[in-house]
Amino acid sequence: MSDWHIPDDLRERYLEGRLEPALAMSVDAHLGRCAGCRAAVPYDEDWLEASWARLETELITPRPGLAERLLRHQGVPDHLARLLTATPTLSRAWLAAVVAVLAFAVLAARAQADLLPAFLVVAPTLPLAGIALAYGPRVDPAHELVAATPMSGPRLLLTRATAVLAVAVVLAGLASPLLPAPPGLSAAWLLPALAAAAGCLALSNRLPVPVAALAVGGVWLAVVGAGGLAAGWPAVFGPAPQIAYGAAALLLTYRFHKVSTR
Amino acid sequence: MIQIKHLTKTYGAKRALDGLDLTLGAGVTGLLGPNGAGKTTLLRCLATTLAPDGGTVSAFGLDPADRVQRTALRRRLGYLPQSPGAYPHFTAFDLVDYVAILKELTDREHRHAEVRRVLAEVHLTDQARTKVRKLSGGMRQRLALAQALLGEPDLLILDEPTVGLDPEQRMAFRALVSRLGESRVVVLSTHQTEDVAALCERVVVMRDGRAVFDGTPGELAAVADGRVWLSDAPPATSELFWRTTDGRYRTLGAPPPAADAVAPGVEDGYLMLLGEAA
Repeated sequence: MSDWHIPDDLRERYLEGRLEPALAMSVDAHLGRCAGCRAAVPYDEDWLEASWARLETELITPRPGLAERLLRHQGVPDHLARLLTATPTLSRAWLAAVVAVLAFAVLAARAQADLLPAFLVVAPTLPLAGIALAYGPRVDPAHELVAATPMSGPRLLLTRATAVLAVAVVLAGLASPLLPAPPGLSAAWLLPALAAAAGCLALSNRLPVPVAALAVGGVWLAVVGAGGLAAGWPAVFGPAPQIAYGAAALLLTYRFHKVSTR
Repeated sequence: MIQIKHLTKTYGAKRALDGLDLTLGAGVTGLLGPNGAGKTTLLRCLATTLAPDGGTVSAFGLDPADRVQRTALRRRLGYLPQSPGAYPHFTAFDLVDYVAILKELTDREHRHAEVRRVLAEVHLTDQARTKVRKLSGGMRQRLALAQALLGEPDLLILDEPTVGLDPEQRMAFRALVSRLGESRVVVLSTHQTEDVAALCERVVVMRDGRAVFDGTPGELAAVADGRVWLSDAPPATSELFWRTTDGRYRTLGAPPPAADAVAPGVEDGYLMLLGEAA
């Protein structure tokens, strides 16, 4: 090893960036193997520490999945995108909604007119199935761990339920035009779906989420199914009932919000 | 700091907690007791994941029965459940990052720095990108401990934290927990009396949902004072004895013939206290 060390004036010019590239590279090379000269080069400790931290994070942080990247691209905050896409139970809930709605779309395209009442009655229960799979000890393997965090409970349920509802509504909306009915009638499931989801959330303050979903879904199928068969489908999906479904959705959402933040 | 008054919890006909009264302060408190003594039920009530049937819990002046105060308390606690569960397809980093989000660490840079910190605390930095399903049992346990350390909680609740750890990892765990206990409330349940002797300033022995002993490990050991013996032949009457590695018989209770009295340990005191129930 050479006894030569970087003279003060050369180091000064190097630090000020006034050296020719070839000479700067020589100084770099020497710094790489001479601890004494390296010690004489001042550095910003905070900057260095932050840089190492960033580098370490880059090295150990797994790359986000496609869904998470898409959500971030659409402006969803980083932590929310992770929360929505990372939850295994939510993935299953979404999958359940996708499969159910696509099955409906295929059946509708094949069976035509006879399927419309069944679609209108069953479609509002699809988000319920998703919400039932979105939260709780029976569906989330890490529920005990999650339940002790400040985000757990109604806040987390609402976040996941909103995501499930959005996916189910969009997919069921895409399936609607495949049905042989006027656009207004084939979309008449939307407000009932919102009311059923809000009812499930409101009831979840007293019952486990899957039980609440089953209860609301059961009541919906029994009351509306029977009513439709007895009085005709316009009587349960016409303009007046739609106003009632909309009002119920608003009222139940308010109720859930009020109890959740009490 | 933590006050538990007349706490009760019943599962069907079984009383898991039977009017338990307890006050916990800074330092490490160990809960000992046989299976079904109510340790996990107590820790779940403290961790706000289980509502008691009766009685009250007050932690840092917060009442977990009130929804708003419960959320405030959750911001100050770290919890390692007995069965933490996991998402096997997550990486170690992802799992801790996910819990960090649930703990309201929303700023990515700060959150990732915190995730790195806790992974380093449990010596899992090198496994950060490894899928949970590929981690050994001990590594999973350390990962579960890592998430409990997020946000430097004031109250750390650890349910059987040393399960699955090898001796070296247990030593590292003891060092970590004893350091944490210097400034915060740490409550842990265990079946390992060595862990209690090594790191707890206080030990509570539970049986049938009640605290039957509350004191220091030394005081628990003293329960067996003058009642621990070593002899060459097995005792004729005592039911609490075992053969040691040097071939002699360690007996608790009345002295066998030609026995030498020995100083009791925490395990002796615990066994003496609970008898066959231990």
